[in-house]
Amino acid sequence: MTALEVSNKAEPDFDVIIVGAGIAGCIAAYQLAQQGRSVLLIERGEAPGSKNLSGGVLYCRGMQEVFPDFLDSAPVERRVTRNYINFLNAESSIGIDYKDTRLADPVNAVTVLRAKLDPWLAGKCEEAGVFLMSGVRVDRVLTENGATGKRVVGVKAGDDELRAHVVVAADGVNSFIAQEVGLRAKQPLNHLATGVKCVVNLPAETIEARFGVTGDEGAAFAVVGDCTEGVGGGGFMYTNTNSISVGVVLRLDDLTAKRKVATDVFDHFLTHPFIAPYLEGGEVIEYGCHMVAEGGLGMLGEIDMDGMVVVGDAAGLTLNTGLTVRGMDLAVASGVAAAVGIGASLERKDFSKAGLAGYRETLFASPEGKDMKTYAKAPAFLEVERMYKDYGELIANVLYGAFNLDTKPREHLAKVAIRAFKKSPVKVRHLISDGIAGVRAL
Amino acid sequence: MKIVVAYKWAPNPQDASVGVDGAVDWSRAKPGISEYDPVAIELARRLAEATGGEVIALTAGPKSVDASMARKAALSRGFDRAVIVADDALEGAGTTELAAVLAAAVRHIGDVDVVITGDSSVDVGAKMVPTVLAGQLGWPAVAEVTAVSGSDPAAGLLRVERAITGGTQVLEITGPAVLAASTDAAVPRVPGMRDILAAGKKPVETLEVPALDVPASGTTVTVTATARPDLKARKGQLIDTADPAAAAAELVAALRADGAI
Repeated sequence: MTALEVSNKAEPDFDVIIVGAGIAGCIAAYQLAQQGRSVLLIERGEAPGSKNLSGGVLYCRGMQEVFPDFLDSAPVERRVTRNYINFLNAESSIGIDYKDTRLADPVNAVTVLRAKLDPWLAGKCEEAGVFLMSGVRVDRVLTENGATGKRVVGVKAGDDELRAHVVVAADGVNSFIAQEVGLRAKQPLNHLATGVKCVVNLPAETIEARFGVTGDEGAAFAVVGDCTEGVGGGGFMYTNTNSISVGVVLRLDDLTAKRKVATDVFDHFLTHPFIAPYLEGGEVIEYGCHMVAEGGLGMLGEIDMDGMVVVGDAAGLTLNTGLTVRGMDLAVASGVAAAVGIGASLERKDFSKAGLAGYRETLFASPEGKDMKTYAKAPAFLEVERMYKDYGELIANVLYGAFNLDTKPREHLAKVAIRAFKKSPVKVRHLISDGIAGVRAL
Repeated sequence: MKIVVAYKWAPNPQDASVGVDGAVDWSRAKPGISEYDPVAIELARRLAEATGGEVIALTAGPKSVDASMARKAALSRGFDRAVIVADDALEGAGTTELAAVLAAAVRHIGDVDVVITGDSSVDVGAKMVPTVLAGQLGWPAVAEVTAVSGSDPAAGLLRVERAITGGTQVLEITGPAVLAASTDAAVPRVPGMRDILAAGKKPVETLEVPALDVPASGTTVTVTATARPDLKARKGQLIDTADPAAAAAELVAALRADGAI
């Protein structure tokens, strides 16, 4: 018997080893444990959530399907009932203020702080029987040469090796595990963005007064234009219970091309006359940077191979439609789909790529997976330069012509608009092409 | 030899913040094994390996000290078993109260030869628990311990090295004692995946305070005030670096003038 055959016969330590206790990892772990599988969940941070700076808006319906009592028992901050979309110029701002009580019943989106949510999720996993291992950095996956090529059989950290039928890479946007086994190529810069954000402490009453919300309602602001000094990307601001998360997301290729420094752009945003009043008097309690995947479907790498699947940010599962920036709900969907696919593969004792195909099928049959395809053209559309500068100024100039009663007789709005349009670098063909592209992409 | 290591599951001040009024906000601080305790565990482990003894983890605090993560964090570091006094009545307990509960737990374990602790806790840093614990037990307390070995394990004799001003001292101790390790007595091992897995299977005895015989304390020590240290007066001297050569010359001159070089 060769060494390979011996190791093949060796009983693995766990049915499934999941690397990364973020949302996708925790959801997959929880559901597999609920199926009665033995699951090891490895987290690099001293505790789940400790490496996670973020938070954000979680579109929570998928999460509620996994945890029916999610809204009542999980540490959610506020229920988002007000969405504010803003074109910001240096001296003006045009916004669409969308507030709708229907968004609160049933609740569609909540703000969360991952430093609180992740420990809660990991706690649910432990209750379900998952073995949670914190403070361990996986150095690499163990692979063997199988009949159909390289297959993953476990993980190695320090001197220790642990084996499993299936390994799940849930180790975030920079997933070195997926890269190491060749499932993901190094991403082009236009697929990556750098996020700079901070959390500003303010009393709940102050937040409610400034954002026009009451009780546990919250607001989410999406800002484009001068907030990024014209760099592709955008600014965001959303309300937590006792704090405001505010930041910018900047596409790396454009940031480099425009020779801007991310932290300078961020400071510019925080001190912008439109943004600063919301934050006034607050104390910065958290500050940091994080890489953000922006490539949409184009960035989705190979998500399965013999013995391994990739979920969440690690798989490139993020979606920026311009109106909504999604990642956490896609992480939930991929965690659920991975548990379905892996469950079936364990049932059949077939851990090959073909045996794990249920993951891919379930993911793309889910509403979130379908959205990835629907919005496949959104990233390219959002790369159009005009989105970040010219359109905002054009609209502002039209409105200025209408509202600025400067003792001259008014003209028909159409005339004002045409004049503003002629002055603007935006051309008719741009309007038409962007319009068509926008309709197709979004 | 029966060796107990008293450790603390303490919030890490790294994530605590001090408000403008001097109040410390611990709400964001994440709990963990107190910074210096792994050194004590390492000393205990070495003593046990040399003498064939058993190393027992002991801690006391609110229910959170018995959380799954807290247990694994402790037991993965080389303990044979754990005794955990988890009782929400101990939320915010002071050093004297905690030491009394730990002493009662040491008596509950029975036939303990030595208790080893870290130098001080990372969150309070009073350096009082080892001495009050020893007082409660009627044992000697030795601080700044750099090494422990059993000179005659059968008789329960300990050979202890400790740092003193200007050198080291070697002690022979004939009975049970409480030893507080110096902060750099040993380099703790980092638990591996197999250690953490094994931790999940080690026996744990969980107790509440009423299950222990904790004598009413005659003396309590309460912290009534804390203050920031005075800021050192600094010159705040700025050198214009527009002309690097001139700036360097000015820096050297300033350092010379103050006798720094």
